[in-house]
Amino acid sequence: MGFKDVFLQHPERRYIMFGGGGGVGKTTFSAAAAYWLASRGKKVLVFSVDPQASLTDIFKRDIFGKGPVQIMDRLWAQEIDADKHIRAYQQEIRQKILDRYGMAAVPEEIENYIQAASAEPAMEESAMFDAVVDVVMKGDYDYYIYDLVPLGHALYYLSMAKVYDEWINKVTKLREEMREYEEMVSRIRREKVSEQDEILQELLYIKNRINTSAGILTDKTKTAFFFVVIPEAGAMDDTQKAAKMFAQFDVPVAGYVVNRVIPHELLGQNIPEYLRRRIAMQDQNLKGLDAALGNRVLARAPEMERDVTGLPMIEKLADIMFA
Amino acid sequence: MTEEEKESAAKRLWHNVTDTIYGMAAHDMSRAALRTRASMEHLFILITMGDLLGIPILPPYYSLRLLPYVVPQIATWKRRMLREKDAADAMFG
Repeated sequence: MGFKDVFLQHPERRYIMFGGGGGVGKTTFSAAAAYWLASRGKKVLVFSVDPQASLTDIFKRDIFGKGPVQIMDRLWAQEIDADKHIRAYQQEIRQKILDRYGMAAVPEEIENYIQAASAEPAMEESAMFDAVVDVVMKGDYDYYIYDLVPLGHALYYLSMAKVYDEWINKVTKLREEMREYEEMVSRIRREKVSEQDEILQELLYIKNRINTSAGILTDKTKTAFFFVVIPEAGAMDDTQKAAKMFAQFDVPVAGYVVNRVIPHELLGQNIPEYLRRRIAMQDQNLKGLDAALGNRVLARAPEMERDVTGLPMIEKLADIMFA
Repeated sequence: MTEEEKESAAKRLWHNVTDTIYGMAAHDMSRAALRTRASMEHLFILITMGDLLGIPILPPYYSLRLLPYVVPQIATWKRRMLREKDAADAMFG
C-alpha cells in the first residue's frame, strides 16, 4: 500500500499528523500532504504547534501569529503564536478578577502568581495544545494537518493528559464533597442553597478541554499519524523506541515515511567516493527499516536538489510522495 | 391584645423556640460542618494554587482559570498553610 492509498481508503481520517525527531522533514511532509489534498479539491488547514515553527519558511509567507493565511486555492496555513496566546489569556484572567471583585488593580500577590505561572515551561505546551482545540473545534476544514512539535513534547503532553484527567476527577470529587457540606449547613440553618459551584463548572470545562486535545491525538478513526524517519544510523533504534511509546499512549500510527534518501541514479554518474559511501550506508539502513517495518513504510522521499520551500518545490515533492 | 399582636407574639415565641433548639442541637453540627468545609477549601487551593507556596501540582495554564474564584481566600489560606504548628493545635485545633 502506498502513501496515496492510505488517504484514498480512509477519507474519514481528517486529522493528519507527521511526527519524528528534529529536522527529519515533518514540516516539509505536512506542506506536501496539504498541497496534494488541496489540489484534489479538499479544504485543508495545515498548522503548526511548534514554537520554532517553520511553515513561514516553507511557504515563503509571513504567517506567524496571523491566524489562518490562505496559501492557494483551498489551502490555508496557520502558525500559532504561543506567547501572544498566553498574554491574551493572562489578560482575560486579570479582567475576570477585576470585574468579579470590583477592584481597580490586581493585588500584587495575585499578579506575581499570574506572572510566575506563565513562566513555567509547561505553560507553553498547554497553551499550544489548548489553542489547537479551538482551531479544530471550529470544523471549517475537510482536513487538519498538524505539523507536530518534536516527538518528546507530544508524548509528554499525552502522558500529562492522562495524569491530569485522573487528577481532575479527584479534585472534582473533593469539590462535590465540599458542596455536600455546604448544603448540609444550609439545611440545618434553613437557608437557601447557594447558587451553582462555579469552580466545579470550571473544573469540568478544563477536563473537557484536556480530553478533547489529547483525544484528537489518539482518535483511531479520525486521526492518521505518520512517522517520519531518515535512513541514518540510530534512526532505527529511535523509531522502535518511539513506536513503543506510541503504543503505550494509543497513538494510531498509520505508517512510516522515509525521507532524505539519496537517489540511486547518482551511482551511474561520476560522483565522489564520499557520496558513494553515504549511499551504501543508507542502503544498509533502509534494509534494516524494511526488515523491521515491512509494508508499513509507505513512501520514500529523495534528498532534493535544494531546500523544499515555495509552492513549485512542494508540488514536486508531493508528486513523488503521492505517486 | 389585638389579634395581630397575638399572632406576632406567637411568631416570636416560635422563633425563639426554634433558635433555642438550633442552638442546643444543631449549632455545633453546622459549625463542625463549616470547619470541615473550610479545611477542604484550603486543601483545594493547595492542590490548585500550590505554586504560590512553591508546590506546583495542577498545570499552570489551567490553574490560572481557577484563580479568579479563590482570590479572597488566598490570604487566609497562605497564613494557615505557613503557620507553625504546635501541640495545642492537635488538642484544640
